[in-house]
Amino acid sequence: MRLYLEKRDHIKAFSRFPVLTIALLLAIFMSFLVLWSVGVNPFEAYLIVGEEIFLTDYGWQDLLVKITPLLLTGAAVALAAQMKLWNIGAEGQFHMGTFAVTWGALNFGHLNTFSLIPFLLILSIIGGGLWGCIPGVLKSRFGVNEIITSLLLNYVAAAWVDYHLFGDWRDPASNNFPITPGFSESARLPNYFDSDVHAGLFLALFVILVLTFLLKKTRIGMKIQLAGDNLDAARYSGISIGMLTLIIFAVSGAIAGMAGFSEVSGVHYRLQQNISLGYGYTGIIVAWLARNHPLGILLSSFLMAVIFVSAEILQIEYGLPISVVFLYQGIILFTVLGSEIFVEYRLRLQKIV
Amino acid sequence: MEFLVQLLIAAVEMGTPLLLATLGGVISERAGVINLGMEGLMLVGALTAFVVMLHTGSPILAVALAAIAGGLVTMLHGLVCLMLRANQIASGLALTLFGTGLSGLFGSSLVGKTFNPIEDIPIPFLHKIPLIGEAFFNQDILVYFSYFCAVLTWWVLFRTRLGLNIRSMGEAPEVCDSLGLSVLAYRFWSLVVGGGLIGIGGAYFSIAMNPYWVDFITAGRGWIAVALVIFALWHPLKAMAGAYLFGLALALELRLQTLGLNVSPYILKMMPYFLTILVLTVVTIKNARRDIKVMPAALGQVFFRGLKN
Repeated sequence: MRLYLEKRDHIKAFSRFPVLTIALLLAIFMSFLVLWSVGVNPFEAYLIVGEEIFLTDYGWQDLLVKITPLLLTGAAVALAAQMKLWNIGAEGQFHMGTFAVTWGALNFGHLNTFSLIPFLLILSIIGGGLWGCIPGVLKSRFGVNEIITSLLLNYVAAAWVDYHLFGDWRDPASNNFPITPGFSESARLPNYFDSDVHAGLFLALFVILVLTFLLKKTRIGMKIQLAGDNLDAARYSGISIGMLTLIIFAVSGAIAGMAGFSEVSGVHYRLQQNISLGYGYTGIIVAWLARNHPLGILLSSFLMAVIFVSAEILQIEYGLPISVVFLYQGIILFTVLGSEIFVEYRLRLQKIV
Repeated sequence: MEFLVQLLIAAVEMGTPLLLATLGGVISERAGVINLGMEGLMLVGALTAFVVMLHTGSPILAVALAAIAGGLVTMLHGLVCLMLRANQIASGLALTLFGTGLSGLFGSSLVGKTFNPIEDIPIPFLHKIPLIGEAFFNQDILVYFSYFCAVLTWWVLFRTRLGLNIRSMGEAPEVCDSLGLSVLAYRFWSLVVGGGLIGIGGAYFSIAMNPYWVDFITAGRGWIAVALVIFALWHPLKAMAGAYLFGLALALELRLQTLGLNVSPYILKMMPYFLTILVLTVVTIKNARRDIKVMPAALGQVFFRGLKN
């Protein structure tokens, strides 16, 4: 007896969905095992989590707040993926965005909100965009592996933020905590619906809309799609791949930088450590699960936000560390990746006589 | 002089986990499988070794179980990217997330616990060599083990039939397949053995370098090892040179801090990452100029019988 894979005769248009559902169910089952292994009753825990997330006002608010940066980092990674480029550096670009915004807010806090907020947004675009240009230039000019460079720059950006938090930006009134002074009112994004939901959410949705339009309806968007489908064909048709790579990385970094702006000006109103709970890394999963589709980004950001909020509740209720998020993300990415083959193939048993 | 000796000792210590992980990466990439899960695997190895050491006090057992844990967790990557033909890069990232989460979850209760690190064993006569003797021959057993691994990996990969087969899997899997060699089996076990070595590299952090548990104890060294595999041109002995060069950079960062140099530790912390990017760029440019094609030709490609991708 031997297991082997057999190509399906015809693939139905929606055959991805049952496969994906089974993958997610498997992931949930594995998360049960995780909870059980640390002595938490998974049934009880998920009941609490479900109630807190979906049946309380706070749960919904928290979900929408957590979705906001994930939409942006997910879009950033998905944009690079359109050209089969890996931007693993959204985490660092996020941090450089927060850095640039904080610099602006601390130095120009006296400006009124109508000039300050756009200024901060531009700063975050510059901060994240320039940081994204580093792997972009190295890739397009010299062909250096963008996965490694963009990833390593995350550690540099985190150290750069720490350098300021533990140095010249530390709030004298903070009892030596590594946090900056709070932003002035004019540097804060407005909240809506009497809740924690802030303007960053609409910024994120707007960015996704614009990106979708640019990719589908403009010349440069077509070039990107062509280069993603067939690099050689694109090159022979006269498209400058190097230039396109650089543009993609700059824009991708800028979008991740905007996520930083939205967090620092919309949620925390100051720069502090761990302002990103791994939003940049999560963007990779958001983009992968979404298959770079705009609607998919909404859905997968929602899923990831549920995981973040669940982890917070598990932390409060059971004292589990927040890094359980990474574990869940790893499990989901594994099960989804492993399931994809079953869209086109089926598992068969062959009897060897 | 004393400063230099201390610096070299620290360089070898810092380089050892990098060397072990790089060797693991070299083995699996030679077989054609990219393993971007190194950072996560090192964390799993570090955690396993720490727990075993805390409860049994036996370094041998700690290292052995770290290797087994590294190998077992790597099997997930193998299952997904080899058996189920998923994208190796995405699957490797999943492995890093998985390992990071695992070590964070089970390590949270260990923060602050400690034990005595494994002892240095001077090798007779050799450790008396001026300058380098102390650095290379008055270290703990894992350092010596890493020398052994480097030479053994080189010997197996370049001097045995097994190694030839492994390397062929990274160059021309279709040919291997038509010769009746199982591509999946060779790739899977190369990946798993590599994962075991990466796990031991992680163990070095928690039982030899600083025997108290902190979250994310490896601090990105797994990613430096990913770059080192390229820097070493997929060669085990060049991996030694690369690992100690980076060890030296990391040691210098540490030493400069203790010298009371007036530079923020956070700025110094960036240096190894910048250095990695710089070196990676130089190596890439040099290889392109000389038209060197050392990278395994089928690296990262899905192998599917009768299917060209």
